[in-house]
Amino acid sequence: MINVDRDLDSICAMITPYGVGGVSVLRICGPHTVPIVKKIASFFPEKPESHKSYYGILTDHLNQPLDEVLATFFSKGKSFTGDDTVEISCHGNPQIVKNILSELILAGARSADRGEFTYRAFMNSRIDLVQAENVLALIESKSKKSAEVALSQLRGDLSKKLEAFETDITWVLAHIEADIDFSLENLSVIDYAVIEKKISEIRAQIAALTDTFQNGRKIKDGVNVAIVGRPNVGKSSILNVLSGEERAIVTDIAGTTRDIIESEIFVNGIKANLQDTAGLRNTEDKVEKIGVQKSLEAMKVADYTVLVISSDEFDEADLSQIPAKKDLSDTLFIFNKKDLVPNLNTENYYDKLISFLKLRNNYSTEKLNRDFLKEKTIFLSVLDTNALDLLKRFLGNNMKFRAEEDLSLITHSRHFENLTKASEGLERALMLVKAKSGQEFVSLELKEALIQIQETLGKSFDDQILDKIFKEFCLGK
Amino acid sequence: MSVLSDFDIIVVGAGHAGIEACLSSARLGKNTLLITTNIDRIGYMSCNPSIGGLAKGHMVREIDVLGGEMGRAADDTCIQFKRLNSNKGPAVRGTRVQSDKHKYSEYVTAKIYTQKNLTVKQAEVKSLIIENNQCVGVVLDDGSRIFCKATIITTGTFMNGVMHVGLEQQSGGRVGDKATVGISDQLANYGFVVQRLKTGTPARLHKDSIDWSKTIPQYGDEVFFPFSFLSERQLKLPQVACYLSRTTEETHDIIRNNLDKSPIYCGIIEGTGPRYCPSIEDKVTRFADKVSHQTFLEPEGLDSDLIYLQGISTSLPVDVQDRFLKTIPGLENVKVVRYGYAVEYDFIEPTQIYHTLETRKISNLFLAGQINGTSGYEEAAAQGFIAGVNAAKKIDEKGPFILERDQAYIGVLIDDLITKGTREPYRMFTSRAEHRLVLREDNTIDRLVEQSLNVGIYAESQFEVLNSLKEKRGKLVERLNSEKIFPTKDVQEKLVKIGSTVLGKSITFAELLRRTEIVSSHLNEFGFMMDSDPLVAEPVEIEVKYSGYIKKQLELINQAKRMEGLLIPEAFLYAEVRGLSNEEVEKLSRIKPRTLGQAQRISGVNPSAIQAILIHLKGKKKFKEFEVEQHGTGSGHTLSN
Repeated sequence: MINVDRDLDSICAMITPYGVGGVSVLRICGPHTVPIVKKIASFFPEKPESHKSYYGILTDHLNQPLDEVLATFFSKGKSFTGDDTVEISCHGNPQIVKNILSELILAGARSADRGEFTYRAFMNSRIDLVQAENVLALIESKSKKSAEVALSQLRGDLSKKLEAFETDITWVLAHIEADIDFSLENLSVIDYAVIEKKISEIRAQIAALTDTFQNGRKIKDGVNVAIVGRPNVGKSSILNVLSGEERAIVTDIAGTTRDIIESEIFVNGIKANLQDTAGLRNTEDKVEKIGVQKSLEAMKVADYTVLVISSDEFDEADLSQIPAKKDLSDTLFIFNKKDLVPNLNTENYYDKLISFLKLRNNYSTEKLNRDFLKEKTIFLSVLDTNALDLLKRFLGNNMKFRAEEDLSLITHSRHFENLTKASEGLERALMLVKAKSGQEFVSLELKEALIQIQETLGKSFDDQILDKIFKEFCLGK
Repeated sequence: MSVLSDFDIIVVGAGHAGIEACLSSARLGKNTLLITTNIDRIGYMSCNPSIGGLAKGHMVREIDVLGGEMGRAADDTCIQFKRLNSNKGPAVRGTRVQSDKHKYSEYVTAKIYTQKNLTVKQAEVKSLIIENNQCVGVVLDDGSRIFCKATIITTGTFMNGVMHVGLEQQSGGRVGDKATVGISDQLANYGFVVQRLKTGTPARLHKDSIDWSKTIPQYGDEVFFPFSFLSERQLKLPQVACYLSRTTEETHDIIRNNLDKSPIYCGIIEGTGPRYCPSIEDKVTRFADKVSHQTFLEPEGLDSDLIYLQGISTSLPVDVQDRFLKTIPGLENVKVVRYGYAVEYDFIEPTQIYHTLETRKISNLFLAGQINGTSGYEEAAAQGFIAGVNAAKKIDEKGPFILERDQAYIGVLIDDLITKGTREPYRMFTSRAEHRLVLREDNTIDRLVEQSLNVGIYAESQFEVLNSLKEKRGKLVERLNSEKIFPTKDVQEKLVKIGSTVLGKSITFAELLRRTEIVSSHLNEFGFMMDSDPLVAEPVEIEVKYSGYIKKQLELINQAKRMEGLLIPEAFLYAEVRGLSNEEVEKLSRIKPRTLGQAQRISGVNPSAIQAILIHLKGKKKFKEFEVEQHGTGSGHTLSN
């Protein structure tokens, strides 16, 4: 058993309610708060002043920007918990919060238990017992059902996977420990090639799982938005307005954009990669042909597709820019060049859009009504001065993250944290096995991994390994 | 106390626990009486004729550094020496010696008879004299009463011992010795939980009846490293080989066909046997797919005719034993001198004693050895020593002597027993020690010298050897860190040959040694001479090569220390703590952990329960008893108000 005193850990959690709001606040406290925060906030001073806020951009472990934030330092003895504390105010989006929490965990923090900040405040004599009563209540409910609670937080599939990891790691450990403690007994069953393979397999499976927690690309790279439409409807102009710079070459000659131009903007605090694509048309121009191909691919991987239509030339051909039968739940419509159609009647446009979409089987019929489309559609002229505001609000309203991803933020970051540590332990164990290092070191790493898995499952580390050895091997020479 | 004591300390039993108990007590100046039912069997090896092994060898060295006798007795009577796991990692190497069984007993008996302050008496203790929940003496079988200040019981497998051979049973703790009846019943009546365990021993064979040509000889190591830091590094006795043979399918058939005559298989034996040392009946049944099991034929001594048959413990009837033994190659015409048997005995559930091995219910009564549910000479000796020291300290009103889990395997042993209890005879394994990277044989003196001086058997001057070792190790480390190896053609070629990578620039030999594929013997090839004394070179190699892991282990120990420093008052009422489950309240109240660290180790006690106890203690402001040591820096977690 490896005993770790968790009260000395630096812990982090979001302290404002979940969901999309203006600002979310994250708290990290514990003895290593400042060095941990510094790992993702290069702007943060080594010796910060208490009660002072520092502004800057957080970066992840790959040095990619996470969000622009305000980080306030509270020194030991002067904070809510009594420990060194940093509170980070970031954009109010669960994805950003999750993202920052993941990075804090990678930097050495662990996610706080429910009520743990209050618990620490009490232990540091910052609050009295009466104030801490609610923490006791939490602990009470937890200790009685801790295993069940922990399990119920895990979805069925996940807990099965974790239990499989537990079984597999215990199996490997039993073999290694038997090889150490019963080496005289001629247990010829231990083959380190098998052990190496097994550890490697478990590690790969855990890594696959952590990838899903990290929500992969979305967190690391932001969401991809493909801007599509017939040539010369104003795609590049829209991109330029949004990104505030002349990224795409804008001309009035159709087919100017032949490559995909990328630009990054923040929508709701989430990074969006805008991809301006070549307009789709049958073309004989070789270079343009490649561009057309690329824009089809861009649409395939995009999280959102924005179809730009020139209001004065709206017809069925506009819809041919998106593949038939494509699921359009993540597709938005921009009717540009509104100024070219005097007294534009939007109702007519919706009706027309519905009839075209029906022909292409893009939506199930019952979904196709005006109200549904109105949310996903905007009429504007990109040359107007308010175009930027309109576009940002329009994209912000539509690019919301799904509720299910928000709900279990704590659970998820806890799982992510434990699995990441388990995976790291396995990786080190693997290196040691490859180098034929002492079994006791391999065992130490594997036990660390096992404890992480068991903690996620709400179990405690006990005599499982010896039990397994006695079950598995014929001992007693 | 109402009566005048005849002795300071009485030790009941002269097995491996009793020996260390009476010697340590007498050596600490206490007038000690050793009572045994058979003065001809002091320090007798009832089972296999060997001392040490993995994790057990560690404990023998620990006992030795602290002032015990086992290490020297084993060194003095060694007839085969082996360093186990020498090809494995540094923390899991263990020393095992095979001893001449009679010489071992003779050596120990002589030590006891020549020990100042120690008297030996042959008698059976029938009961304890208990006044006001304190043990003040013993009553012998002749009705006489002997008074003392503290009593240590080390009765091994003798308490209500029953021996089984086939379906026949006989009262007794060992062949030729009768059982001790009375004490465990008295303790049970006093409210102690008393349970049954079982163990077994194989047959002893006559050496002249064995066809040795059908066995494979197994020799010991050539280089001898004694257990004791005081022993000479010279073997005193000639060395012998052990011999390997194997059971056959025919052996297994005979055993299988006679399971109805095995007391274990027809439910006569109720006690739990050790899973790591099953009888041959168990092996054949539980691992039916194995067609053969190995067995070692071990001589019991230089002048002994007896051969111990390692691995074939059995309680089958004698005629069945005769038949199946003859199917083992080499044993076709074997003559059995003593048949194998199982023994069932009482043990006191060990969660009822303190870390000092004193019982909770009766003060000044200490229990050590198999009576606490352990197995093995080394486990017994370790407890005997700790009980002897603590009984002496208690009489002198000095603080308890407790080894922590990060200091010694002995600390792990006792903490496990009293925290978790046991359901089978408890044997030490390296895997039980969570800090095993720092609990090595090679650093035993280093880690326990301070504790040893605290015990007080050895004077500081006796550790001069350590000072000279430390000095030499320091010099070696300095050389490793300063002398460099340069990327010459010759060096690069040698590195590639070893399977290492070439040097980009010159590095120190310490850096070279840290490469996973490099071991200290490689350094010679590059002109760096390690110290020729392994007692100097080995710890240095380990500390340098594995410095990263050792540092990590020390960090974990430091983290755990904070919890180990938080003492829980003995009268603490767990039922008052909000947030504990009924199961947790029951377990904590029964085991009464000394520290929060120990509470954490009780199986079934959740981390949240530990938090709840902390909060409760702080909330109730019971700080006088609730001492806090702060470890680590900048934690900000003082519990002072």
